[in-house]
Amino acid sequence: MRTMQPCVTIGSYTWAQDRLPNDEFSLRLDELRRAMVQHGWRGVLAYGDVREHAALAYLSNFIPRVRWGMALLPRDGDARLLCAMSTRDLPAMRTLTWIADVRSGMGPEWDKAFDPWFERFAGEPPVQFGTLGFDLMAPVLHDAVRRSLGERLVLQRADDVVAVPPQRKRPRELTLLRAACKLVQDATQVFADNWRQKSGEPETAALAAERTARSRAAQDVRTLVSLDGGRTLLPFQGRFEKKAGPLVGYLAVKLMGYWADLFVTVDEGEPSPARRRVEAALDTLIAAMRPGLRAGELHAKALAALAPWSLHPALSQSVGHGIGLSLNEAPELRAGADAALVEDGVYTVQLGVADGVAGNVLLSTIVRTRASGAEVLARSPRISLP
Amino acid sequence: MTKNARLAEATQYLHDHALEGVIAFSNGLNNFLEANAIYVFSGVRPVGESAVVLDRDGRSTLIVTPAWDAERAAALSTTDHTIGADDLADALKSAAGKHRLTGKRTASVGLSLLGQALAGRIVAALGGPPQPADDLARDLARVRTADELAAAERANWIAERGYERLLEYARPGLREFELAAELYCFMKQLGAEDNFLLLSASQHNLAVRAAGERILDVGDIILSEITPCYRGQFVQICRTTTIGEPSPAVCKNYAILQDAMAEGLAAARAGARVADVTRGMNAVFGKSGYADYCRPPYMRVRGHGLGITSDRPGDIIDRNERVLESGMMFVMHPNQYLPDSGYLMCGESVEVTPTGARALSVRPAQLDVIAA
Repeated sequence: MRTMQPCVTIGSYTWAQDRLPNDEFSLRLDELRRAMVQHGWRGVLAYGDVREHAALAYLSNFIPRVRWGMALLPRDGDARLLCAMSTRDLPAMRTLTWIADVRSGMGPEWDKAFDPWFERFAGEPPVQFGTLGFDLMAPVLHDAVRRSLGERLVLQRADDVVAVPPQRKRPRELTLLRAACKLVQDATQVFADNWRQKSGEPETAALAAERTARSRAAQDVRTLVSLDGGRTLLPFQGRFEKKAGPLVGYLAVKLMGYWADLFVTVDEGEPSPARRRVEAALDTLIAAMRPGLRAGELHAKALAALAPWSLHPALSQSVGHGIGLSLNEAPELRAGADAALVEDGVYTVQLGVADGVAGNVLLSTIVRTRASGAEVLARSPRISLP
Repeated sequence: MTKNARLAEATQYLHDHALEGVIAFSNGLNNFLEANAIYVFSGVRPVGESAVVLDRDGRSTLIVTPAWDAERAAALSTTDHTIGADDLADALKSAAGKHRLTGKRTASVGLSLLGQALAGRIVAALGGPPQPADDLARDLARVRTADELAAAERANWIAERGYERLLEYARPGLREFELAAELYCFMKQLGAEDNFLLLSASQHNLAVRAAGERILDVGDIILSEITPCYRGQFVQICRTTTIGEPSPAVCKNYAILQDAMAEGLAAARAGARVADVTRGMNAVFGKSGYADYCRPPYMRVRGHGLGITSDRPGDIIDRNERVLESGMMFVMHPNQYLPDSGYLMCGESVEVTPTGARALSVRPAQLDVIAA
């Protein structure tokens, strides 16, 4: 889900070497270096900004809290990390990554930090570098990169050639995703309980959930709530008004770099017909999720399970996507999408209905796909259905 | 002046420069240091990439992504029309056609902030690159309206309550991120829609940074840059707090920061140049023998503009020759690293008046102590 981007992410950021040790990044880089050899790249430039930084974080553990960062990763030799922070901030930035050589890329520091790193390639014919995440780069920075490189290097877009991060999660990633899922599960329960038992105010309930997640070291928390019984979703409004049900909201948390998200719907009385249908549809999709299943096939199953109702407009014709270092990872689970689910892929599956008679509901689950069957890592708080 | 008046001023700009129209963009980020042109021209804080199209007849259209955000945006927007879309380039092509805009005689604001892939698609959709006019929104909004000033006052009230909460809540044994989480949620409960909250501690700080895992303890100096946003108005207060009694050096140096602040407040009257205000603040440090420390990495700037309407007057530095105008707002902060105390912070959001800058805070920054 798209949510309002905060101006800075305030949570607990560090390089947790007990969770993501150096050898983990060595293995990730080995994979990338194989791709460099295969494609004739002398290195890869991985860019990320405060909003989207999955490739950069996967390779360096560095997550920009403001502005941007870029890892300069050679096939041979030492890596360098540039971040859009002033020189006085560099000591703090160095605690966030395994890369020892961290430089400022801001203003005049650019010429000191970016250009000299490429001097090792001087005298060679133009060499090729792969780029990751450059689509997100602001044109002014992209122009600076081009000017600096001149004729020395040829940049090739690598995003479509190598999947970074891979759809298949590594074991340590699955551990971190489980932790994030546990946190979002607990916080979503607070969301529901606060509204039902205490406040009756959707925004107060969302803030209670946010406080729970942040107090447990969440690096980022996003919420959406409905103030019209689930027909539409809104970012924070600061109204804190009591609203009749159902409560419909959304919560996403990032923990140690990994996102988990859930919708929450709480009916005031008996579950609505829409609620029953969406719960059953989620069960159907979880049972169907296997490595090899096409994203478009899953979407078709979802629509069939919801019929005669159509998908909630807030879901933008999608029933979910991958999740991990990005809140919106590939593949998107859309009509006709050809990408296949993979072993140890992690997906957020989102379903909902907006119907004036049957009711408004949004529910979701986070699922790990395995050949032996789907593992549910988190699910919207369930209510007992008679 | 209202936000609609800014659309009218922008329309006049189009006539003055013989332009067909202007398209303002936002990348969906809400940088507290920058103007957000979408907010200036529509009053909407966007979730995703978005645009405002304005033609020389004064007709305006807001395009927001994702499509599901259209209803909220339409309720808030001061533009004539609001469109929700999942593809900004496609929607913009259609809207530009309806407003009869072509790339050549169209100005743009903030196109350079978008990702280059999307920016490229937009240029293609418009049939060519529009003329950059990136300062238009920040210039038109450089003086706060009465509503904006009232929102800023409220934001500053929230910031001061947030700092009071810090004084109540901070204690040895608490991790920095736990304190930041409490302050962030506390200020959100008071209405802060965003917050550039830097908060960190050390026995000898080099700078302020975002909160981390560090456990607070006696002797720590907590730095906080509390920056809530209320109805599009960021404000900032900078505070220094010790756990346990501060050293004589910290007390002595903090008084220098306060003197520099007093000098800046007096100097920052309408008609003064930012450079002169900066020099006046730096001179206070110079008199105390610290002239060599008035440069990076010991400090960065003596203050700066505040988004998201307008970041004018810009950074408070001795190279900024901009003339201050009544009603401008910025944060003034003579934050400074000094060798015997480390980095200390003292800052207030201020409004420029004919007689000097008026701090929005009721209680000016002072060196506060949390009992050990």
